[in-house]
Amino acid sequence: MTMKTILTVEDSNSMRQMIGYILRSAGYNVVEAEDGSKGLAQAQSGKFDLVVTDQNMPNMDGLSLIKALRQMPDYKSTPVIMLTTEASDTMKQRGREAGATGWMVKPFDPNRLLEICQKLLG
Amino acid sequence: MTTVRMQDVGAPVTYFDPRFKVQAAKILPGEFYVTGRDMALVTVLGSCVSACIRDPESGIGGMNHFMLPGSSERSPASASARYGAYAMEVLINQLLKMGAKRSRLEAKIFGGCNALLGGGTQSIGESNARFVQEFLSTEGIAIAAQDLLDAYARKVYYFPRTGRVLLKKLRTLRNDTIQQRELEYSERLTNSRIDGEVEIFR
Repeated sequence: MTMKTILTVEDSNSMRQMIGYILRSAGYNVVEAEDGSKGLAQAQSGKFDLVVTDQNMPNMDGLSLIKALRQMPDYKSTPVIMLTTEASDTMKQRGREAGATGWMVKPFDPNRLLEICQKLLG
Repeated sequence: MTTVRMQDVGAPVTYFDPRFKVQAAKILPGEFYVTGRDMALVTVLGSCVSACIRDPESGIGGMNHFMLPGSSERSPASASARYGAYAMEVLINQLLKMGAKRSRLEAKIFGGCNALLGGGTQSIGESNARFVQEFLSTEGIAIAAQDLLDAYARKVYYFPRTGRVLLKKLRTLRNDTIQQRELEYSERLTNSRIDGEVEIFR
């Protein structure tokens, strides 16, 4: 089986390192980007099996990144998980409309994140 | 089982401080507050820590007040690391939402007294203090001032507009309110579910 590659988009260095550590420990190949626009550039230059993104980031936020990804033929149906401190129903609804696959509220359970990745990556 | 979230704690109590003639907000364990107004943010810290962070150019600043959940896990993704990073991120996110620039942020950090809550090989205060220092260093946020550890609780007044801090070490405590508050907060973190909700849309 080929190793699945996950793109992690997160502006907090601590949080990005933590998410990267969790996913790499589970055997995934992880590429990190520090804001939405860098994440989009990564997505344009490679093909990822799944995207985990934060919402509040400089330059381009998570919702804008998801909308941009959904315009790209390669990412029309790629699972995208929003991993954010935003917990309101309004934000979740905006995420659903933007095309997010799932919404995880921080602080997050690493095992839950891995379960979801595993499920979405089939 | 309840979920502990910084946002759920409610808006801190604000009042007029006659001494400094400004509006003041009292920040309790688990709370945070961000403002662009000229006001005072006030807290009393035992083993807990506070990060006071501001953007000197816009004058937008805020303060949090938290401790790490006691956990023997030693992993970069331990419950302590995840909750601590969350407590810092909600403060920083709110600062940025209100117009502060990440590259200009500067921090002043206080608390982590060793005496109030017991600890094992490393005291709770020391773990909290070390976490804030390491988090800020990883994030590249400069520490402009700090007063950590030691044996005394602290009362901190932070004026985000100017960055000024007035700190008083409480060498004698009139009652056990600080310990009680921190103990309740610590128990809430230990006994409740820390992790947030998950929803899969499709």
